[in-house]
Amino acid sequence: MTRERTLGKTRPTRREFLQGVGVTFVVGATGIVGACGLEPGDDGLPLASAPDAAISPNAWVSLAADGTITIQFGGTEMGQGSMTSVPLALAEELDADWDDVRVETVAEHNPVYGNPARSRDLGYPILYTAGSATVRGYFTPMRQAGAQARKFLLDSAAEQWGVPVAELSTEPSRVVHGASGQSASYGEIVARAKVPEYLPEVDESEFKSHDEFRYLGKDLTRLDVPAKTNGSAEYGIDVQVPGMVYASILRTPVEGESPVAVDDAAARAIDGVTDVVTLPYGVAVVGETVEATIWGKAALDVTWSESSRFRATDHARDLDDYEARARDLDFHTDNPLWQEKGDVDTAFANAERVIEATYRTDPAYHAQMEPMNATASVSEDGKSAEIWVSTQTQSLTVLGSAEALETTPEKIAMHPMYIGGGYGRRTEYRQKYVDDALFVSRAVGKPVKVIWSREDDVKDGAFRPLAAQYLRAALDADGNITGLEQRVATPTVLGYMNEPRWAHAQGRDGIAMNGAQTTRYAIPNVRAEHVIVDRCSRLAPWRGVATSYTRFANESFMDELAHTLGADPLEFRIDLARENPEGRAVLEEVGRMANWSEPRDGRWLGVALSDYGGSSVSAGVAEISVDETTGVVRVHRFWMAIDAGFILSPRNTEAQMEGTIIYGLSNALKERITVNGGVVEQSNFYDYQVMRMNEVPEVEVRALTNTRPPSGIGELGLATTGAAVANALFAATGVRMRELPMTPDRVLTALTAREPGAPRA
Amino acid sequence: MATFTINGRDVDVDAHPDAPLLWVIREHLKLTGTKFGCGVGQCGACMVHVDGQTAFSCRTRVADVEGREITTIEGLSETGEHPLQQAWIAEEVPQCGYCQSGQIMRAANLLAMNPQPTRDEIVAHMSTNICRCGTYSRIVRAIERAAQEV
Repeated sequence: MTRERTLGKTRPTRREFLQGVGVTFVVGATGIVGACGLEPGDDGLPLASAPDAAISPNAWVSLAADGTITIQFGGTEMGQGSMTSVPLALAEELDADWDDVRVETVAEHNPVYGNPARSRDLGYPILYTAGSATVRGYFTPMRQAGAQARKFLLDSAAEQWGVPVAELSTEPSRVVHGASGQSASYGEIVARAKVPEYLPEVDESEFKSHDEFRYLGKDLTRLDVPAKTNGSAEYGIDVQVPGMVYASILRTPVEGESPVAVDDAAARAIDGVTDVVTLPYGVAVVGETVEATIWGKAALDVTWSESSRFRATDHARDLDDYEARARDLDFHTDNPLWQEKGDVDTAFANAERVIEATYRTDPAYHAQMEPMNATASVSEDGKSAEIWVSTQTQSLTVLGSAEALETTPEKIAMHPMYIGGGYGRRTEYRQKYVDDALFVSRAVGKPVKVIWSREDDVKDGAFRPLAAQYLRAALDADGNITGLEQRVATPTVLGYMNEPRWAHAQGRDGIAMNGAQTTRYAIPNVRAEHVIVDRCSRLAPWRGVATSYTRFANESFMDELAHTLGADPLEFRIDLARENPEGRAVLEEVGRMANWSEPRDGRWLGVALSDYGGSSVSAGVAEISVDETTGVVRVHRFWMAIDAGFILSPRNTEAQMEGTIIYGLSNALKERITVNGGVVEQSNFYDYQVMRMNEVPEVEVRALTNTRPPSGIGELGLATTGAAVANALFAATGVRMRELPMTPDRVLTALTAREPGAPRA
Repeated sequence: MATFTINGRDVDVDAHPDAPLLWVIREHLKLTGTKFGCGVGQCGACMVHVDGQTAFSCRTRVADVEGREITTIEGLSETGEHPLQQAWIAEEVPQCGYCQSGQIMRAANLLAMNPQPTRDEIVAHMSTNICRCGTYSRIVRAIERAAQEV
């Protein structure tokens, strides 16, 4: 990953510099914070002149005279740990004592704090925590900001002591003059510092080397962890605002319908219900207690319109339609190919053999533990608002809220809260739960907390889309794969959940297509195509985005090719990865971890490779057994080798991998959303079951660390789970499961249909 | 009106008798460490102790705790330094953290009944609670760690 140098050849003035760390930043300025005790200098900018002053050498860090170091975090914390690891990169280069550091989550849509790795979504950097891009995007800017603040402190100390800056060094939160033995804390230096007209330049060559790191690469306790053991961590649902009322919303059972008649007499009669508000998509019951609004909602009698096209949805038929589109090589939609390498058509025209297969995957629900909710307080004129919400994106929440109120973004004051599970669910441009709170607050003139029931959360869920995929491979007479094509029939997710980004995407929907590309294997001619079909449900990115289905398909297909060619599935992949050292290394490593070639009694192995989050790559091996009388597949062990570049926190990396593996396995074996007649047929955890402790495998993770810049870890590895299990199941039974989830009924049906004497691996 | 003890404090709550204890704890009493997850006793995010036994507070009517002793995550220890809480930090269990109050309350109930549980006993006892981040193996390790220290 390369990035533009922090500062150009022309030295910026401090005023210019305060507009941001990178030259690509164009908007806004944070300037000096903690202005108490600051007096104006010649240029009108304040000088520190009192012990309680604080100086911000740049937008990211504020140094207080009392020693407190405050670092701004542009992401949001949902359990992935970047609220710790991103500021830690700044603290490392600042040579701060981590105990002196406070972290503040940026609470505004200000591109100064945008993630450089999220610059293309809307054409400028936004605050958007998804795609495993937070550490990847912020790592270098944070180091630059920290190194620059350290230089400022060194320059200030040199001036205060009248010594050459070259003679100074730092220890955690201290500047030291070795020759004289003189030293001072950062706070003491700040208290006497003058803010210079020009801020020091920093070159990446001045960064610490990895062996100089005090913190990075070590295991520090994540900042958010202690508060998550004693109930004090505040999530969106925990917000309490003076004068607040509650709302529960009876949402339209079918997307696109609206209430045409509302009998709310019984609801209004319930003690504690204060208002009933009709919305375009539902009816909100407002009250003094949560329970009153829940009971009031149940007492509503609403007649809905019956004109929505979604009433025509039919899960089985829709999937068959998708499959027909995927298999029809003459059918194309008006969007560019996802991947085109070499001459695929000629490869197939000249093929000795063509192998083909179709894979089908049902929609998946996020099942984040914190149901959707938001609290809003809308002004009397309806044109400004304060909102409290668990969101993965300060930027889109502000922009979407402004759109909802038909106002401008600076009229939205937002408070990002801890997130009780994100996994992509809280990334929409227009977040319905925020709309709910805004609309109801505007209607009743009070702050309103809207809490979705779990049933609302499922039935009004935004899912990983239904998908059918057709894959074919061209083989030459020697059994070499000369061509590979993957046609993914699935809707555009971006076109539904983020129209402004879709407008910037030029027809390339990474949310729908991520993982359909083939980059790790030495196959000369490759094509991946997004066949855009009508959506059958609301849509959102899911954890691992599209890779849970695209990699299920192409890594199952790789297994099919290996078996067709009589090759060992792991050796086959290692050979195909011969031109990709990172991919090859994780395959070889996971093979060692799993003791791949050793037979085991009643258990079988399957392997898959996947990349995700920039240059990260992972290989996973599942060890399974299958009960052929019930169709139940049990995953006993899962090994994963990863290369995600430099690992900032080994322990958290391992935890993230455990999480993605369980999330992926849970989906691959159990989770299924169906939509019929426009109605989501599942309701709660009893009919959308997720893995519990008694079902999870032992997980072993090994990270192959190196000095490449860090790439993503929050979703890495998830995509190997479905294919690894399906491939192990084939090894166990000779049955190829080409549909997710691999529920017991489906496995049993496939086993029953197995021809007598079917080959076993 | 319901009268009960919560975290050692006697309270009178002006709530409908049928109100779920969960919402009384969270919104009437402002003890928001206890979480709403499913409302149907399927996920365990709402777990509290009623007279020392775990209960799904989402499925418990406030009238049913009249005169009884409730403990929430905020009251598990005065300082937040219950051995389980310390073990949860030492093993860095939480990710999103939303389910962890319920997990800790469930685990505390286990150790109260069975101070030295086997791994199988831990798994059987804890499978009432869902963690969507998949922290299960760390929960097991934290319970084992706390059991050694109790």
